[in-house]
Amino acid sequence: MSLVRQLWLAVVLITTIVFAGSFLVSMYSASSYLEQQLLRKNLDNASSLALSISQLSKDPVTVDLLVAAQFDNGHYQSITITDPQGGTIASRVQDRNDADVPEWFVRTFPIRSLPGKALVTDGWKQYGTVTVISHNRFAYHALWKQGLAMLAWFTVIALGSGLIGMLVLRGIRRPLNAVVEQAEAVTERRFLSIGEPRIPELKSVAHAMNRMVERIRNMFAEEARELETLQHRLNFDAVTGLANRDYFLSRVREKLSGETEAATGVLLLLRLANLAELNNRLGRVETDAQLHNIAGDFAQIVAVMPEERLAARLNGSDFALFAPNADDAETLARQLAESISQPLSPAALGPRAIFQIGAVPYHRGDQIGELLGAADQALAVAENKGANAWHVLTGTQLPIASGGHAWRELLTNALDDARIKLVLFPVNDARGHEIHQECMVRLHAKTNGDWLTAGDFMPMAVRLDLASTIDLVVVRQALDLLTIEPGDLAVNLSAESMADWAFHNKLAELLRQHGSSTGRLWFEVPEYGAFDEYEALRELCRVLKQFGCKIGIEHIGHRFDEIQNLTELGLDYLKIDASLVRDIAQNEDNQKILKGLCHMAHGIGILVIAVGVENQAEQSTLVELGVDGLTGPFIRAAV
Amino acid sequence: MPKNANFLLRRILGLALIILAAAWFARLTSGIDFARLELVAAERYGQQTAQAVREWRAALERAGPTETDKLNAVNVFFNRRILFLDDQTVWGKSDYWATPLEVLWKGAGDCEDFAIAKYFSLKAIGISPDKLRLTYVKVRIGGPYSNMFQAHMVLVYYATPTAEPLILDNLITEIRPASRRPDLVPIFSFNSEGLWVAGSGPEPVASSTSRLSRWRDLLTRMQNDGYE
Repeated sequence: MSLVRQLWLAVVLITTIVFAGSFLVSMYSASSYLEQQLLRKNLDNASSLALSISQLSKDPVTVDLLVAAQFDNGHYQSITITDPQGGTIASRVQDRNDADVPEWFVRTFPIRSLPGKALVTDGWKQYGTVTVISHNRFAYHALWKQGLAMLAWFTVIALGSGLIGMLVLRGIRRPLNAVVEQAEAVTERRFLSIGEPRIPELKSVAHAMNRMVERIRNMFAEEARELETLQHRLNFDAVTGLANRDYFLSRVREKLSGETEAATGVLLLLRLANLAELNNRLGRVETDAQLHNIAGDFAQIVAVMPEERLAARLNGSDFALFAPNADDAETLARQLAESISQPLSPAALGPRAIFQIGAVPYHRGDQIGELLGAADQALAVAENKGANAWHVLTGTQLPIASGGHAWRELLTNALDDARIKLVLFPVNDARGHEIHQECMVRLHAKTNGDWLTAGDFMPMAVRLDLASTIDLVVVRQALDLLTIEPGDLAVNLSAESMADWAFHNKLAELLRQHGSSTGRLWFEVPEYGAFDEYEALRELCRVLKQFGCKIGIEHIGHRFDEIQNLTELGLDYLKIDASLVRDIAQNEDNQKILKGLCHMAHGIGILVIAVGVENQAEQSTLVELGVDGLTGPFIRAAV
Repeated sequence: MPKNANFLLRRILGLALIILAAAWFARLTSGIDFARLELVAAERYGQQTAQAVREWRAALERAGPTETDKLNAVNVFFNRRILFLDDQTVWGKSDYWATPLEVLWKGAGDCEDFAIAKYFSLKAIGISPDKLRLTYVKVRIGGPYSNMFQAHMVLVYYATPTAEPLILDNLITEIRPASRRPDLVPIFSFNSEGLWVAGSGPEPVASSTSRLSRWRDLLTRMQNDGYE
């Protein structure tokens, strides 16, 4: 029984006992008081009647009349005169008993009317004894009235004390519930602080809990900061703050091969033509400042679609911009060229070329080497064009559809015809046991065409506001699959769906219809979406937790500085971005990062899953580093 | 809650006290504890009173076996030992019922005091209260044909319920049957049995209001004196 209910019961019990006790005591003392009063009345009336009779002549008629007069005008049960030998001289007995008091009451609280006696004399001779017994129904009536009044008062007082009790309990319950909620939240890996209640006992509990939560959060934040520093030092250029060559290449390789990645985009190279000369002319400090400016311009262009674009300094004079979903390479190149030349000082600009830009569109599946080669080729063309020029090398591959209208038609047709299916990829733990299967969406574009992957159509779906519609279809299909799949399934939600509060409601409605199996459904959202729409993510977590779903974040590995916010969400797992996993056996830097990440996540009970495992060496290293789950071509092949 | 508990406790204690007091008072009918009475007399009123108590006791113990002997002994002791004075003189109050001890202390009393002292003395030496009546009478003063009457109280003894009663009066030394007391006109008589319902029941004596009755008040004071 809950504490509050026990307190309630105690209040009710004590009130009842106290009332019942005082009720009984006062009823009994009142009835004994009434009994005394009756006796006194009997005695007094007997005396006065005896006195009257003693003074008068004792003929039977007179005596009888006197008795009758007294009896009829008073409240008596009986009046009797007996002679010294015990014979009755005159007697009146009440035969009515129309008491308006219940029988049980009379039995429970008896009020005796004890006889009052007085002597009647006739001159010096004894005449007899007057015995007067007053009727006790008046006493019962009074007692009954008093009982009812007490009951009424008790009800009023009980209601009053109930009300006060309720207020007091509410005062206790609110902080108590807060403490309980906090404790439950901790077991669900949500680390929340609460206001400390005023009740001392609860205060110390809440204080201790807050301290613990605070410590965990600080620890987590500390580790996140260290990871961020490490990652930054390892993966970013010290002068410009842009990604370095290795990091850039591993990210780009991932973006060219991952099936959820954008189908098309642009790779752009920028070469500072005469960096050595610039260095000589301006001095090292000024040169570094110029480099910073260029890095800033890059960053600006990256900022347009920050989650996808990646800028890097490949070596001293070469910069790269990788822009998925950018379909107009020309615009991008021109934009960059203009924004770089505009602010440059005339001294820095000088008469000679400072930079060339070469850009090339790509399609997912292109090899990175070939792509870089093509970009280099574009750069060469640009150099031939003149100082500070740019060139775009156009590709040959045909797009799936051209123009928003065509895409909308393609997507809505596919949705209407239910030409969407899920493909399952196993996610196993270190010993090969399945953790869950990840559902990858496939969309059949045309009746006889190929099945498209998420990367092929999701960017367009996002642009056309169809992402959440597709996500709902995916969730519905996953729920259907759960009826035949014995294990757990994971589905991806797009950042756009996650940020869409209307989608939350539809999702909740859908899950409500499939109440029984929702506990086996895992949801994952991309890292960039999670951090950019933090409030939406928190709300989504709240909704999904109601259905027992597990929640994770995928593509973890780029924004460690913000990962500390995740402590209060109750997340279940993190999926490491494949770029961190690639060649992990040889990459000691990434090993450090992964090890730290695993330590940090395990500290608050979050699973870590590595994505894109390609070989045995990677798997062994990952398991050694403490990763809980693995997925990728190697794992799939093993199954 | 403690306030309520306290209240409850007080109620219960109060009830217990009432019951105890009642049990104590019930013993009042049994007799006179002279040893205690003597102590109280010595302590409260001095040796002279204690001596009077001893004499009282001796008089009762000396009384013969028959009821007539007892009546005589008691009547003689009080009529000789106690001076007949009105309450105003003795107590400074218009009407005061003194206990036997107070009567012995003052060595004086009015007619009620005589009747009461005799009543309890006789009861103590075994005369049933059934046979005794404290009787309010009118007494004719100034000869048989006088029309002057005075209020008076005597103790009356009935050998049987229908027998002619004997009158124990402080105005005359001798005990006479009623027929030989034409100067007395009985008005009303009572004894403790009528007022006092023997045995069970709530004891009115114990409650404070019952002292409003002179008779109860007297009994309470007697009990304080050491009369059991």
